[in-house]
Amino acid sequence: MIAIGLDDGAWKDVEPGTEALVDRWLVGQGEAVKAGAVLAVVVLVKTSIELTASADGTIDRIDFAAGSTFARGVPIGWLRETA
Amino acid sequence: MHVQASADDEQDWIRKALAEPVTRAQWRVWRYRAPAIVLGLSQRRRHDEIAARAGAALPVLVRASGGGAVLAGPWMIGVTVLLPSWHPLAAGALVDSYRWFGELHMRVLRAFGVDSRLLSPQELRDGDSRVAGFEPLPWACFGALSPWELVDSGRRKLSGLAQQRRASGIALVAGTLLWRPPWSMLCEALDRSDALEALAARTIDCESIRESIRKSAGFAPSSERQREDFASDLAAAIDAALASVLEGG
Repeated sequence: MIAIGLDDGAWKDVEPGTEALVDRWLVGQGEAVKAGAVLAVVVLVKTSIELTASADGTIDRIDFAAGSTFARGVPIGWLRETA
Repeated sequence: MHVQASADDEQDWIRKALAEPVTRAQWRVWRYRAPAIVLGLSQRRRHDEIAARAGAALPVLVRASGGGAVLAGPWMIGVTVLLPSWHPLAAGALVDSYRWFGELHMRVLRAFGVDSRLLSPQELRDGDSRVAGFEPLPWACFGALSPWELVDSGRRKLSGLAQQRRASGIALVAGTLLWRPPWSMLCEALDRSDALEALAARTIDCESIRESIRKSAGFAPSSERQREDFASDLAAAIDAALASVLEGG
């Protein structure tokens, strides 16, 4: 399973305790996606960031819905890579 | 390139440029003909309510970058830089991208007698979030502070920064206050008239910084013509500085 979320590097110099916002998901649970497809848009430090699929696969789980916030190191969903 | 345009033209230019992969650094320096409210991405759900309150004479737009609402207008210079994802100035952490952009603004402004400084992440972490005794107003871009934004010695905000990181490329945006905006337009549209004093107190503009020097030197305040000349010259200087950094020219 591949975690969907922000790399740790994205959080460098971000004030401790700051959370990122899930702005929207562009895919749904169970949906098949291709590598490079945009999965979600999140916002951190006034930056909107597209999260893309790192491999072909299926969205296994969405843990954080649009409008919710998440902390450093926490995946917002999971991608099951196509075997 | 510096252009007179509407805030809508700016958003349209960014949208179209990022619809395809960005293959080289591009930029625009914007002077705005008319006022407009530009909401941050996460404020879009409030668009209709704010637009109804703003009325037909004050367009309300949504940008694709984060942060609070901006009151664009003749009192502000906007800058947009588009970079390919592989560009050295786009490498590193999100916050690092703001640093060179803030430094460039600070350097150009200083040449025009506008002294400001960059707000480091450490100062943000360790410092008091209040400015002039007022708490942050995160619903307004200029009401809160983020890393590498420009402030004066009293931590009043002069330039705000934001960005979007798309699969197709990166867009960095900046807004610098030339003279004092009519903040009541923004506060009323966002139904935050109660925060007018705080927003005014938490912000500063180029003209106010320059005027304080002019007054102490015994000069008269700037005329309307001097104000326009300053805005035009500053836009050209930012444009030239960006050309130097992004094209080495």
